[in-house]
Amino acid sequence: MRLPKFEYFEPEDLKAAVAILQKEPAAKILAGGTDLLVNMKHRVECPPVLVNIKRIADLDYVRQDNGDIRIGALTPLKRLHAESLIVENFPGLAQAASAVGSYHHQVMGTLAGNICQQNRCMYFNQSKWWRSSRPACYKAGGEICHVVNKKEICYSAYCGDMAPALLVIDARIALEGPDGSKEMPIEDFFSGDGKTPLVKAPAEILSEIIIPKTSADGISSYIKFANRDSIDFPIVGTALWASENEKRYRVAFTAVDRKPVRGNQAEDFLNGKELSAENAKAASDLAAKAAKPLKTSVYSPSHKRRMMGLLLQKAVNEAKRRSSE
Amino acid sequence: MKEAIELHINGDTYELLVSPNYTLLEVLRDKLGLMGTKRGCDLGACGSCTVLLDGEACLSCLMLAVDARGKQILTIEGLAEGGDLHRLQDAFVKKGALQCGFCTPGMILTAKAILDEEPHATEDVIKHKMAGNLCRCTGYKKVVEAVMSVAASSGKEV
Repeated sequence: MRLPKFEYFEPEDLKAAVAILQKEPAAKILAGGTDLLVNMKHRVECPPVLVNIKRIADLDYVRQDNGDIRIGALTPLKRLHAESLIVENFPGLAQAASAVGSYHHQVMGTLAGNICQQNRCMYFNQSKWWRSSRPACYKAGGEICHVVNKKEICYSAYCGDMAPALLVIDARIALEGPDGSKEMPIEDFFSGDGKTPLVKAPAEILSEIIIPKTSADGISSYIKFANRDSIDFPIVGTALWASENEKRYRVAFTAVDRKPVRGNQAEDFLNGKELSAENAKAASDLAAKAAKPLKTSVYSPSHKRRMMGLLLQKAVNEAKRRSSE
Repeated sequence: MKEAIELHINGDTYELLVSPNYTLLEVLRDKLGLMGTKRGCDLGACGSCTVLLDGEACLSCLMLAVDARGKQILTIEGLAEGGDLHRLQDAFVKKGALQCGFCTPGMILTAKAILDEEPHATEDVIKHKMAGNLCRCTGYKKVVEAVMSVAASSGKEV
């Protein structure tokens, strides 16, 4: 499949990249390319300009700074599940990185690229030929969302593996833009709007991911349920962070909503309590009840809800096993 | 607009004029006639188009040719040296680890990337990392056996 035509830039620093993006607001940023180029081949994204940021030096690093861990935007996923700093302090993040796509995707794909991936839906991630049997969906440039049969709204699901693992360890992201750099909690980076899932100006580039040192005090895990272990996007992915000493917990899910979501109800219930099987079951029921999955894939919302609960219980068991080691 | 690029493939340097929207796979097959790299799904889901870029297993269907500038590219054509099959190629033949052979170039190159990094990789590691290379006919048992036979006997770079 030939890619649609585009104008191509390879800036050598972030400033130059931002300048190009300012001039070309419809441009797309190319990093690993494993999400964007597939969408371009399917003609659901046809940017007139591609800005390849991979020639920018010093965006591939994992380093410790005053105890916090800083990860460069272009750090390949493969490196994240091999780096001892990550594996020892944030095993959930390493688990998520090794769960993304196939080994090849982990070699090519970057952390920031994975965070910024497009939302997914069975009416959107299809070939032009497949999609031609019905009017284009709202996300692909049409008027209607076929998931809910409503106009000018998009219910595509966010399906990234890295985001939930970062949500539970309270990660922050740094954006480089025309007015310099700014930081925000990763939770605020996702809009909840399926059509434009990221809260980001066109000329802003995600440059760094920062994990606070306090998050290393708990045990983190990520458990993914997918059609095939080898390559698929999650049907549901669950991340858990547990500080058993302080009895504080954080829970997040992917692929169940238009953005990666925190399981606030489950957290409120669990905080201050022991991680017993009964408490895990009750928390799982609360999380599943609060979720709003829709039929964006071949898996039904009720199946996703059930899997959310089971995965959370599995994550709790893993946390307990690890803390007893 | 076409760009003049240099690609280093199998130890040779090629000067080419390519449009930025050409993938590395298209350039290898359609412009250079290196047909060993296979076009399978063309969407990064099957692993048939795997080539090594600076020793790392990459999907050439999801890589712009202009983006491969400055990297050492290894395709299946560059693996045998002086008419002698590479140890992995030899193992695939001896173990009968192929049927139609379409997925074989991608399988062998992925295996090479794995064993170059971890010469004594365990069966679990090999299975996990090669899971993105799909075979539609013969199955995976003999493929794993072939790679394991090289892993078990290797003491240095494959």
